[in-house]
Amino acid sequence: MARRARGTNVREIEMKVNGIAYHETVEPRRLLVDFLRDQLGLTGTHIGCEHGVCGACTVLVDGQSVRACLMLAVQADGAEVTTVEGLARDGKLHPLQEAFWEHHALQCGFCTPGMLLTAYELLQTNRKPEPDAIRDAIAGNLCRCTGYQNIVTAIQAAAQAGGRA
Amino acid sequence: MADTPRRKWVGKSIRRLEDPKLLAGEARYIDDVHESGMLHAAVLRSPYAHARIKRIDTSRAKALPGVVAVVTGKEAAVLAGPVPAFCAEPVVQHAIAIEKVRFAGEAVAAVAAVDRYVAEDAIDLIEVEWEPLAVVSDVESALRPGGPLVHENLGTNLVFGRTLTFGDVKGDFARADRVVRRRLRWPRVAAVPLETAGAVAKYERTSRRMTVWANTNMYHYSAMPFAGTLKVDPNKFSIVPVAVGGSFGSKHLLSKVITIAGILSKASGRPVKFMEDRIDNLAASDSHASDRSYGAELAVTADGRFLSLRIDVVDDYGAYFQFGQTSHGNYLSQVTGPYTIGSVEITLKAVLTNKCQQMVYRGAGSEVNNWVLEALVDTAARQLGMSPVDVRRKNLIRPEQFPYKIPTGNYYDSGNYAGVLDLALRMVDLDRWRQEQARLRAAGRYIGIGLATCQQRSVYSATEFWFWYEKPGFPVTATPEGVTVRIGQSGQFTVSLNSPFWGNSPETVVAQVLAEEFGIDPSTVSVLYEDSLRALPAAGPGGSRLTVMLAGAVTGASRKLKDKIFRIAAHLLEASPQDLVLADGKVSVAGVPQRGLTLADIAANAHFFKMSLPAELETGLDASHTYDHPFTTPPSADRSDLGAFYPIVAHAAHVPVVEIDIDTGLVKFLDYVAVHDCGTMMNPAALDGQIAGGIAQGIGTALYEEFVYDSEGQLRTASLLDYLLPTAAEVPSIRIGHQETPSPYTPYGLKGSGEGGRMVAPAAVANAVQDALAPLGVEVSELPITPDRIVRWVREAQARR
Amino acid sequence: MKPPAFRYVDPRSVADAVGHLQEHGGGAKILAGGQSLLPLMNLRLVRPQVVVDINRISALAYIRETDGVLALGGLSRLHAVVGSDAVTRRAPLLAEAAAHVGHLAIRHRGTIGGNLAHADPASEIPAALLALEGEVVATGPRGARTIAVADLFRGPLSTALDPTELLTEVRVPITPPGCGSVFLEVSRRAGDFALAGIGVLLQRDGEQCARVRIGVCGVGGTPLRMREAERILERSGVTEDTLRAAARAVEHAVAPSDDTQASADYRRHVAGVLTVRALRQAWQRAGREGR
Repeated sequence: MARRARGTNVREIEMKVNGIAYHETVEPRRLLVDFLRDQLGLTGTHIGCEHGVCGACTVLVDGQSVRACLMLAVQADGAEVTTVEGLARDGKLHPLQEAFWEHHALQCGFCTPGMLLTAYELLQTNRKPEPDAIRDAIAGNLCRCTGYQNIVTAIQAAAQAGGRA
Repeated sequence: MADTPRRKWVGKSIRRLEDPKLLAGEARYIDDVHESGMLHAAVLRSPYAHARIKRIDTSRAKALPGVVAVVTGKEAAVLAGPVPAFCAEPVVQHAIAIEKVRFAGEAVAAVAAVDRYVAEDAIDLIEVEWEPLAVVSDVESALRPGGPLVHENLGTNLVFGRTLTFGDVKGDFARADRVVRRRLRWPRVAAVPLETAGAVAKYERTSRRMTVWANTNMYHYSAMPFAGTLKVDPNKFSIVPVAVGGSFGSKHLLSKVITIAGILSKASGRPVKFMEDRIDNLAASDSHASDRSYGAELAVTADGRFLSLRIDVVDDYGAYFQFGQTSHGNYLSQVTGPYTIGSVEITLKAVLTNKCQQMVYRGAGSEVNNWVLEALVDTAARQLGMSPVDVRRKNLIRPEQFPYKIPTGNYYDSGNYAGVLDLALRMVDLDRWRQEQARLRAAGRYIGIGLATCQQRSVYSATEFWFWYEKPGFPVTATPEGVTVRIGQSGQFTVSLNSPFWGNSPETVVAQVLAEEFGIDPSTVSVLYEDSLRALPAAGPGGSRLTVMLAGAVTGASRKLKDKIFRIAAHLLEASPQDLVLADGKVSVAGVPQRGLTLADIAANAHFFKMSLPAELETGLDASHTYDHPFTTPPSADRSDLGAFYPIVAHAAHVPVVEIDIDTGLVKFLDYVAVHDCGTMMNPAALDGQIAGGIAQGIGTALYEEFVYDSEGQLRTASLLDYLLPTAAEVPSIRIGHQETPSPYTPYGLKGSGEGGRMVAPAAVANAVQDALAPLGVEVSELPITPDRIVRWVREAQARR
Repeated sequence: MKPPAFRYVDPRSVADAVGHLQEHGGGAKILAGGQSLLPLMNLRLVRPQVVVDINRISALAYIRETDGVLALGGLSRLHAVVGSDAVTRRAPLLAEAAAHVGHLAIRHRGTIGGNLAHADPASEIPAALLALEGEVVATGPRGARTIAVADLFRGPLSTALDPTELLTEVRVPITPPGCGSVFLEVSRRAGDFALAGIGVLLQRDGEQCARVRIGVCGVGGTPLRMREAERILERSGVTEDTLRAAARAVEHAVAPSDDTQASADYRRHVAGVLTVRALRQAWQRAGREGR
């Protein structure tokens, strides 16, 4: 996949994604989101705009949310990355995913992976966020289906259920 | 209601069957489809809005390593014909432009390469020599005699114009005490789903078979025309549905995306994926929506009764006319709203310009008419010195008047509009807000309480596609939805759908219906999506039809299955079928529950034990059913009566409360109440989700979104930094209420509800802003209501005083 | 929307970075947080031959306080700036402005040096640093030099930095006691660039306005210092009349242009509105500080 374009260099990188170590070769221009999707086959991370506005490609790099369309794969060399595929364990949904399901916080599901990771990060730092804090935290993740309120409810519910795991 | 049948599953907010795979990142969207040997496409787009292509040189692109195919419009035309169009006029369009381009962003050449990066590198190497032409940048320049033409063969840019009159409009206007007039401007917006459009086409050259994966909606309806475009035998052309990351009407066709992938697969002999990127999607999705200028008049009596409505509308369609004037047929189903208005006249001018063409967006034109009507109603109230509530009450259709035939010929099936209004006002506590408004106004703060009471027609009939035409090209009258229900060897249910998942809840709907019909646990139902060659007839999601139509199809298939189940059970139990009852997944003799068989027993017999069956029954336990429109009649030849074509009509009242900072023009929501009557509710949680999501989109239309083109036809809002989708910080919490007035025409009394939030919200929000600014003398005549516009309107009003 | 090919280097030291810049001249682009550069590259509006990724120069990520000055390494993430105790206490205006930049995921990557070097005229941080009278350190082949933030911006996306220079440090005078500072902006949506934004640092001496500094963004080709408004307030104190006069001075001094989000008229008007609101608030905050 990582084609070498003329006059450019390729890099070997190591990355731990959802706990699994990878050693891959990439062209420097390859965006992290394309690396995850095309090279590692982790298609749960979605591409919505590729200019950093919609938040659909949000993943965690070393525990911090980033736009995977605004980061080169080479920049994540040595990093630990978490994608939506890393939330559920052995077929059991994460409490946040359960809360999204229970509170109908998704419709088409396209923004959902990015939204989940943003919410996951929020609950790591704020155990009991108020609705306004939740809205502020997810304002960088566009959703065109839900009108957001069920997402806010779900995140609150997950927080109440101690959904930081 | 006292006689509401007791139901166990219809009406229950069960968790969606669709969700686990979506939550876990396991769902397969179009960009997740991978075929071995697959190439990736990119498209060269026109920088000019209107220009002749004098020369294209693709040699450098072709020479780039990793590039497998490069096609220009001329080369593509050998592999594919024009893309399907639903209009009667000869507005021909090719997936890749041939001699001239008609909007900035139109495809000029396409590349298939080993990955998208290389494909874009190749695009950069294509050289085009242009001859720029004068640009038709707006409706005025389009209609100016002697000006440039978007399509020379038409001889005009007025692609369609007609007046339709229903009832005694002249007489009613002559009788009126007052005519309320507004000039209104609805902006060009679009659905802009989070997922762009895409397709993977795989053409097998020797067998001449083509398989297309795409996030299109009407894939059964449109497969045949696509096969024609791509020159493949219809029975060797298949569209495979995938999970759709939102459509809201924008993905009904995807003519060019599918055709470009198909052309490149034919040219390369390999599977090709073409994904729109976001810039493609904003500038060239072929799915911008209504862009309308209105002159509207409401004839009223001195005591506030509405007599007649006259609407003059000019719609800027952009460069092509793929869906005809469908979005103007749509609102004729509910043009007079929930009111007893006796006559109506519509004059439509559909105009072509050098912009991206229109498709439909949630509401399909009816949300626009709702806004126009509700603006007229509020204006009438102000002019008559009545309250917005009183003037509506005076004109609402009463419960005993249903089924109610409106002047255009469409019917409203059922309703209790005053009940919805009462509940909404109670929920929002109107009196308290009016007091608060007065108190804060004295303190220099501007509170606005908006009211809109609107129809939401559902379950379209295909006649809306063509009745504007005197001589329609293809007057289709089928609007089907088929399903197949299979009870497997162990008694478990599997359903084959023939429409895609596009964010709605088709799996949950069919599971709830089967649970209701058979007493099974809905979470055990398995749902498959069939490709177009295997599919039963289906028109797909759109026009708020799918829940109703799937319920009709599944109940139809259930009847057939139950008949067989009862005959098998009767045979095995040595009872008469009439004496049997089906409950909780078990068939037993009425009153003797121990004399019974589980569905698993019956299924096992049906599948494995032919000799245990009545002789006339075949092995197996499955049924297909294609449900077509429950109530539709043809339009009259002279179009004075359009027939019933959208008669399942939900209703809603929205009451947003806003505060406006008149110094910055910022609008803040203090409350938002929405009460909907969608007939019997299938799944209240899913319905609330649709309502809230639609309202968020309506708020986008009312306050944030607009495609702005400049005088050179360049799109100035071509990124998501410029085209503003509302975020969680802009959309308020919505308080939703329900009333249930069942439809007499549909299974369980369901009504469609998918578009309801956006049907009403733009009107309600605009009326709220209007209410806040009325004391300053501002009249809201244009959307979106941006901070810039509010500040300007306030200043202009102050200057007038 | 994929970036064109480029040569990629990720030096571990400022000297190496400068070496690469020197070697490749104008064909090289510095990749800091990438939150503005990568969208432009994805759109192929910027096509560097060489990308000099400075994210591995860990020595450039620091926030420390020395001799009355807050020093922030150029690679300090905006998230760190917002959350920094030192910044929040010693130059609260900077923390307040940085919190307005984009969303958390953007601030995790975005850096203060990159923000300034990109020189978006609608960006909040430059306006705040104008009011704070900050300076930057630019390191190039001939060593380091200091540039006042007031002298940094030449036009939209254009600065006084040489193509061979790296913005290595931002220096902010510590806000003295008795000061109130405020950052306000109007944007279409949460996280969007400012249609108009204002940063105010006001030092109050009883009922006297001892010193006030005002920076604005979104209302010109560069962020602008509002000196006339400052003079009015320093001369005549903070009253409703002087606030109005200051607002008029701001409306007069700004040079906004039209775009699809707002007209020049609107931006000018709102700059005036925000002037009054920000100064009033800063005056109150300074009063609380003084007690």
